[in-house]
Parts: sequence; C-alpha cells; structure tokens
Amino acid sequence: MAEAPTDELSKWEIQVRKGGLGLAVLAVLWPERLYGLEILRRLDAQAGLSIPEGTIYPLLSRMKAEGLVDSEWVEADAGHPRKYYRLTDPGRRRVREMAQSWRAFAGGLERLLAPMEGELR
Amino acid sequence: MSNDAGMAHLDCYLDQVRRQLGGLAKAEVEEILAELRSHVLDKVEGAPTPQRVEAAIEALGGPREVARLNLTERVAATLETDRSALRVFSAVGRLARLSLYGFFAFLVSLFGYAASAGFLLTAIVKPFMPQHAGLWRIPTPDGSYDYSIGTTDAPQGYELLGWWIIPIGLAVGLILGWLTWRFGLFSVRRMRRTVQRGRA
Repeated sequence: MAEAPTDELSKWEIQVRKGGLGLAVLAVLWPERLYGLEILRRLDAQAGLSIPEGTIYPLLSRMKAEGLVDSEWVEADAGHPRKYYRLTDPGRRRVREMAQSWRAFAGGLERLLAPMEGELR
Repeated sequence: MSNDAGMAHLDCYLDQVRRQLGGLAKAEVEEILAELRSHVLDKVEGAPTPQRVEAAIEALGGPREVARLNLTERVAATLETDRSALRVFSAVGRLARLSLYGFFAFLVSLFGYAASAGFLLTAIVKPFMPQHAGLWRIPTPDGSYDYSIGTTDAPQGYELLGWWIIPIGLAVGLILGWLTWRFGLFSVRRMRRTVQRGRA
C-alpha cells in the first residue's frame, strides 16, 4: 500500500536533519565548550533542531572516539559535576570542511529553488 | 522529602540503565551513568521533585532504549581504530543480546570462525597426522553419511581429499574467516544504523 505523502515528507525531513546533525553539533561547539543539555538547547534555539535527548551522548561519544571533540568533568555551581565538550584541532578542521561543503550544497539548491520563490512565501 | 523521592526515582532509573549495559567496561558504564545523572539534574534545575525527574527521564528515553543507544555506539566506536577479527567478534558478542538480529549475527560469527579454524587447523595438522586429519565421510547406522573436518579415529571413516586438504583447507579457512569478519563488521554497522534510525 502506498504511504501517505506526509509520511514520505517526514521521512525525508528526518534524513535531512540526520545529515546535518553532525555538522550542527560540531558548529555549536565552535565558539566555546558546552555540556550536553546546553548543546541540545542551543541546537533548538538557534537552528530549530530538536533531537531526542538520549541521542546526544552516544553522538558525542562517537565524535570523541573519532578525535573531533574532547571532554572534561567540571564541578559546576549547580551543585553537581558537568561534562563539558570542546572541539579539538582536528574537530575544528573537520567542521570547517563540513561547513564549506554544506554551503556549496545549500547554495546550489537555493539556485535550483529560485524559480519557485513566489510559491514558497 | 519530595526531592529525596525524586532522587530515589533517578537512582532507580540509572540502576535499570546499568543492568542493560553489560558488555561495557565498568569505567565506561560509570561515565555514561554520571552523564545521564548530570543531564537530569540540569533539567530539573535544582528542584528534583518526582514529577520533574520523571519528565526529564521521559525526555531521555526508557532505560533499555538509552542503554541500547549507548552500548551500540560505544561498541561500534571500538572498531574505528581496531578492526582485527578478534575485536570484531568481541563487538558482535557484546551486541548479541540487544536484538534478535544481534543474536543471529553472533551465531553466524561463531559458526563461521569455528568452521574457518577447523579447515585451517586440519590443513596445518595434516603433515603431522596424515592418517587421522582430513575431511571425513563416516557411514552412520541408518545408511547415510556424516561429514566432518578435523581428526578422527573412526575405522570406517573415509578421507575424501588426501593431501589436497592442505591447499583446500588453507584457502577455505582463510576465505571463511574473511567472510565472517566482513559479516561481523557489516552487522555491527547495521545495528548502529538501526538504533540511530529508531531515535531519529
């Protein structure tokens, strides 16, 4: 049985988000070190990227295994320790390359979408 | 009192996650649990009432789901730096109890490596035990045949390959081992993709 178009659309949206999630997490760490919940909140507030909370730590763990981020436990004013993540030098190089690639891709798509401009408002 | 109940609820949740994290080193388990605890405490912003703790836990995911995500990711990450057959087999074994596919992959890997070792060892042992090592066809009481690789003392057994077992055993053993290794790598990646899709 054919799936409803909205299901197809939401599957596609999930794929797009998944594709950009790695870049988004690395990019949010560009200016400063952050802990898990801060990363989630910034992704949501700055990019409208709301992801299941339980997925962020496995993702950060993979990035750490790949040497893209580093982490340290810090005793916080909140009364409990927090694990802060920051970009490593290879992580900075990677996010720069990913951002360039993303810009080129998004720019190309924007040009393709230009004739539809009036329809998208 | 209410906050104590909230913290007890959090401890209970973390205990449930801990029980699902078998297969990881103790230090890794403690690291995951400490981070989950920190996350929940950040979410409740200094007021760990049972309701707020429950809401924070619900946003994180059930204990089995959270453990599965972390376990799969960490086990898969070990293969980023070391893809030796032993490491891949160990990774498949650690993920075996997470899903039906995981158990299937473990069984296939176990059989694949056992068969590979059987062919290789038979080929290696053949020059030293020419009368006992080989690929055997052994008649059974019901008139059919059993086939086995290795050594046997069965007097009615018939050795099928003779000295050819050495090149054939080495080739088949190596190919089987390689295929099993590739299958293990594929399985771990597949399981990682599956848990990622489940929480996308």
